[in-house]
Amino acid sequence: MNKNIIWFLFLISIHLNAQKASDSLHLNIDVVFGGKPIQLDSNYISITKDTLSFTTIKFYLSSFEFHFTDNSIYKENNSYHLIDIENPNSKKISFSKVNFKNKTLKSIQFNIGVDSLMSVSGAMKDALDPTKGMYWAWQSGYINIKIEGKSLSCNTRKNKFQFHIGGYLEPNYAMRTFNFNFNDNIKKEKNIVMDLGKLFSEIQLKENNTIMIPGKEAMKLADLTTEIFFIQ
Amino acid sequence: MKKRITYSSIVLIISLISFSYVFYDPTPIYLEIPKNWPKPAYNFSKNPLTEEGFQLGRHLFYDPILSRDNTISCASCHLQQTGFTHVDHDLSHGIEGKIGTRNSATLMNLAWSTHFMWDGGINHLEVQPLAPIESEVEMDETLENIVKKLQNSKKYQLLFEKAFGTKKITGQLTLKALAQFVVMLKTDNSKYDKVIRKEVNFTAQEQKGYTLFKQNCASCHTEPLFTNNSFENNGLEIDTTLNDFGRRKITNNSKDKLKFKVPTLRNIQFTFPYMHDGRFSTLTEVVKHYNTGIHQSETLSLKLVKPMNLSDNERVDLVTFLKTLTDEEFLFNPRFSFPRANN
Repeated sequence: MNKNIIWFLFLISIHLNAQKASDSLHLNIDVVFGGKPIQLDSNYISITKDTLSFTTIKFYLSSFEFHFTDNSIYKENNSYHLIDIENPNSKKISFSKVNFKNKTLKSIQFNIGVDSLMSVSGAMKDALDPTKGMYWAWQSGYINIKIEGKSLSCNTRKNKFQFHIGGYLEPNYAMRTFNFNFNDNIKKEKNIVMDLGKLFSEIQLKENNTIMIPGKEAMKLADLTTEIFFIQ
Repeated sequence: MKKRITYSSIVLIISLISFSYVFYDPTPIYLEIPKNWPKPAYNFSKNPLTEEGFQLGRHLFYDPILSRDNTISCASCHLQQTGFTHVDHDLSHGIEGKIGTRNSATLMNLAWSTHFMWDGGINHLEVQPLAPIESEVEMDETLENIVKKLQNSKKYQLLFEKAFGTKKITGQLTLKALAQFVVMLKTDNSKYDKVIRKEVNFTAQEQKGYTLFKQNCASCHTEPLFTNNSFENNGLEIDTTLNDFGRRKITNNSKDKLKFKVPTLRNIQFTFPYMHDGRFSTLTEVVKHYNTGIHQSETLSLKLVKPMNLSDNERVDLVTFLKTLTDEEFLFNPRFSFPRANN
């Protein structure tokens, strides 16, 4: 029996070695406001002259695809990632390089939000577990992006603004696909930058401070989300 | 050397498998589909039913741990003896006596349901409990916090391990267990069912009522489930204290204004009061509404435009038939009741 345990540990260590960090591509997610990394509860001033601070920033990035110059594609399995500004581990997504050895990357594609199939398939696990606070209760479906904070511009209770962007049913299907083209050998890491300064340059908080349901208003913000991501 | 590796790995795998079997050996169970019934909508392959999963779901269903102050369980508003609804209250009340805006729904034959709640806003049985859990007037709790409470309970650690092979409780497993219990709440043994199976006969009056039912009601309350799972405006004048426009809230489509889910009529004798806002307390009132009380509006169901024009006797016959949908075996089945040590 002792021998078995030794072999077990040996196999585990091989397994762990194969997963060594240097053999992965890391995508770092940086959430910024006009180029500056966002800290919760710090003040930022938007182009539309609102002074605002954030209390929650959570969003899904899903269905990662890597397209290569030889026209092959690597799609991550079960690819759902919940990014939470309060959870540093969630801001780093790693992909084993085994999947794209010796290939040149042509483009990266991912979805902002959760696809409609996952929204109608019952209780999911891990990033999609409804305990994550990203699932609507009175109406099914995931909140793709949750941005909450405060601004004196908001004539609301405790000056709060709350944007819960989601919706899986047409014509209010709020998931968006983001595509970034480049020619590059795979290096160690890349940064996916989300600039909320750009989003809030399109929002006047006095008039527009609360979206909690799927619909036209959510669709407008969802359309903007493809404009606020870029890759460095 | 190579041989020894293979040998050791095999021994290792076998010992790991047998080790895990000691703790995790659930008994599969199945929902039996009655003859000539449609195929269930619920996908059992994604949540294979086991006796242990069912029992865990049953414990959760009857446990007020699901509410913020540990006072309200699912069963508070869904009592078995009344078809798993909240009898005697037009609008159901939840935490701290707070009152909601709708009459709590019955829980029966949910394996065949495609949408849940009166407005159909919930698209899957497994995520349905989130609505009452997070409603401020029902349980006012979060699934996240429920998982924490369950994780701190020795009883639930054991029940989850028996059901799913893990002590690590998650939101997904909690919801899947609840689904395993409620999906088994099948009622198919009323007098009506026995007549269909040719085991017994209707009385003459019940038979007359059945004929009237087929002519006037069955296009929406379709046999054998007594619902067609659609949404209809059944001619109720809007209650201006509630201003509930039903399904329009979900679809934002004016065509869905005042439409509500067609409920099943099974066990209807005991599921009073009736309608989404519980405005009718007797079946006589309900039949009277359909006979002469239809309120005209632009989204009114086309099937209700023409009045039924039933005589007094015919209305009594119809109610007599509706009482044949009572399935006492279901309403008093100890398997669905509060879990006790010996059942």
